[in-house]
Amino acid sequence: MKELVALSTQDRIRAIRDLPVSFQEKKHIRCVLHHEYDKLYIKSARQSLELWQGTLKEIGGKFGSSVLSYFLFLKWLLMFNVFSFLINFGFITIPLLVHGPSPSNVTFRGLEILTGAGYFAHTVLYYGSYSNQTLLEPVEYDMQLSYFFTIAVFMVLCKITLIYSMSKSFQENYVPADSSSSSAWLLLTGWDFTVINEKAVRQRKDNLRESLSESAQSELLTRSEKLKHFGVHLGCWILSTGLAVGCGAGVYFLCQYEQKTLLVPFVVSLFNLVIPLFYSLFNKFEVYSSQRSQIYTLVGRNVLLRMVILGVLCHYWMDVVAENFQCWESRVGQALYRLVLFDFFFLMLGSLFGEFLSNVIGTKLLLHLGVPEFDVARNVLDLIYSQTLAWIGIYFSPLLPVMQMIKLFILFYIKKVSLIQNCQPPRRSARAAQMQTIFIFLLFFPFFLGALSVVAYTAWSLSPSEQCGPFRGLNKTFSVIESWMEDVDELQGSRWAAWIYQNIILSQIFFFLVTLIVLVIIYVFWQVSQGRKELIGLLKQQIVNEGKDKSFLLDKLQKLQSSRKKNLKRKKKKRVGHAGPAESRGGGRRSVGPGPPTEPRSVRLQRPHSGHAGPTAGAE
Amino acid sequence: MGNKQTIFTDEQLDAYQVSLFVRLSSRLHGRYHELAPHLVPMDYTNEPDCKLPLALIVNMPELKENPFRNRIVESFSEDGQGNLSFNEFVDMFSVLSEMAPRELKAIYAFKIYDFNVDNYLCKEDLEKTLNKLTKEELTPEEVELVCEKAIEEADLDGDNKLSFADFENMISRAPDFLSTFHIRI
Repeated sequence: MKELVALSTQDRIRAIRDLPVSFQEKKHIRCVLHHEYDKLYIKSARQSLELWQGTLKEIGGKFGSSVLSYFLFLKWLLMFNVFSFLINFGFITIPLLVHGPSPSNVTFRGLEILTGAGYFAHTVLYYGSYSNQTLLEPVEYDMQLSYFFTIAVFMVLCKITLIYSMSKSFQENYVPADSSSSSAWLLLTGWDFTVINEKAVRQRKDNLRESLSESAQSELLTRSEKLKHFGVHLGCWILSTGLAVGCGAGVYFLCQYEQKTLLVPFVVSLFNLVIPLFYSLFNKFEVYSSQRSQIYTLVGRNVLLRMVILGVLCHYWMDVVAENFQCWESRVGQALYRLVLFDFFFLMLGSLFGEFLSNVIGTKLLLHLGVPEFDVARNVLDLIYSQTLAWIGIYFSPLLPVMQMIKLFILFYIKKVSLIQNCQPPRRSARAAQMQTIFIFLLFFPFFLGALSVVAYTAWSLSPSEQCGPFRGLNKTFSVIESWMEDVDELQGSRWAAWIYQNIILSQIFFFLVTLIVLVIIYVFWQVSQGRKELIGLLKQQIVNEGKDKSFLLDKLQKLQSSRKKNLKRKKKKRVGHAGPAESRGGGRRSVGPGPPTEPRSVRLQRPHSGHAGPTAGAE
Repeated sequence: MGNKQTIFTDEQLDAYQVSLFVRLSSRLHGRYHELAPHLVPMDYTNEPDCKLPLALIVNMPELKENPFRNRIVESFSEDGQGNLSFNEFVDMFSVLSEMAPRELKAIYAFKIYDFNVDNYLCKEDLEKTLNKLTKEELTPEEVELVCEKAIEEADLDGDNKLSFADFENMISRAPDFLSTFHIRI
């Protein structure tokens, strides 16, 4: 150990000594290094505590970055649910448990785990058993307000996190469309150095070769072929939309059996499992111009299917269940519980069929299919869908994130084992960074916003049930805020808060003005980006011109030098005995290539200059 | 990183490289030692001058399957032959780690692909890169076509070869570069 420490200091001192910079700078660098050391200790301590760090490295090493992105996404969603569980449990459930839960007179039978009803119906799992009183001991705690605000704050925090990640991901990973499948790009940036497994490397080489040879043979399509492709695309879109609508109608018809049987969650999960297989089948008949549009189409159709099914279910809950049942929120919560549970079963089943059976079929029966790949897009969509269910369910069943947490945790290990046993690395280098942006965008835009609007609609327009839950007796859930604001108004010190509420939050003019301002700002930014695009075009042209200038000047220099040499030789022949040094003019045509540094640490890095003729040897 | 180019001054890049070096050196000494236990001393206080040959380093499990393993080791060695001292060994893994900034990685990626070490990626360099990547299974016409297309697309100043500026421009449009030009150790 002592030698290692000695080594570090020795090397550090030597390294600093080697830098050709001033003494002051070296002192500054030494300070910086001390900071870096401290940061390093903290970072390595934190990394050893992070969940699944070793497994993720293993997966990334064997299967590359796009499969790794699925598992990172799963971990990210798990964090959401952990956070949600903590705040829900802390702010809503614990006060209720302290106060003393309402007694239940139903005995526990095993079936409840499957249906979520029965014994569970009166526990803290569902909305119905939360009280609407203001607890007085040990501290004054308004249950109504706390329920409302906990859910609201959680949703707002989720929204901010999603918007932030989405914009950061978009900013980092924006790639202009023209460069994505060009030869140069594939050649120079296509190799994934993280892959170190021999079989995986061989596979990657084969795939790269295929992509390169495909792009080398560019075919020109005739007009009739283009029309034919378009027709096939249109047909497939009509078919897939028809399928989605058909599924929605089927679910709507079956909803009447929702309260008595487990048919609805079963059928919903079955549709979610089977219909995407049809979509992949359609995919095989269609011809796409690029791989990117293929993935987008597939993802788009799957999203449409799930949105239709979720829309039908929500409509049923909001319209039919809310009108016809006592304590309808608990019933909706139970329906969601069942959906989440069945989704979990079918995800495991999907792993079985999608990966294990495909592997068996591919290697033993139909050998031309080969080992299956891990379908990242489909699996990520499954994750997004299950997270949407959890988000919708937060209002109706505050402890639903617990189930989601357990589900995601187990799913990680199942998928990992299935991946390692059954799948090969993906054939094309599906650009992981871009897919990541798309996934976060999908998570936010239809799914999270949809869940948010369902919860918001419930809180704003629907009347809560009268006999159970924290909002019993109120006309609308939102009236909680109104009555609270009236209370606040009476307190002398916080009149300003009530004033803000009355005149800003409730007024329509304020929101109108804000929208207008935001639209103006968007327009300004859009114009700026258009201007920048033009500037980029101009600058590219300028680079080309400078290159031409450079070669022109080099030619001229060469001619000048050769003519000077001739002149000099002629002069020498004329003047007899004149011992003039036969100068070879300077470095002549020295290499003007702007190059990267050759010495790692001791030489200043040479920034590339777009140069005119550099050599100083007598250019005129 | 990405489209928003962070501009480091030269001193900052140097200092950053030094700090990267320091972070990894204690961890990597064990690995360096086990490559040749009889050659590499455990005690570095006298600054011994030992270099490991290319053949030993290229057999490390992290490099064994990489098609560019020879070029990687050569571009980090001072003599250009692939004999690495411990400092150069740590340099190599620190540039290839996830902590190195984009500029540094671009510089070394350019060096790795530059087979004839003339500070340009000319057509021969690209052809050699392609052959290493595809195990020489493309026909010569396809190889020629791909390399010509590559130069056509990436060359900005019209001299029929890729300078470092062209290469860096290409890299700036590849957001995956930071994560793919990375070897875990």
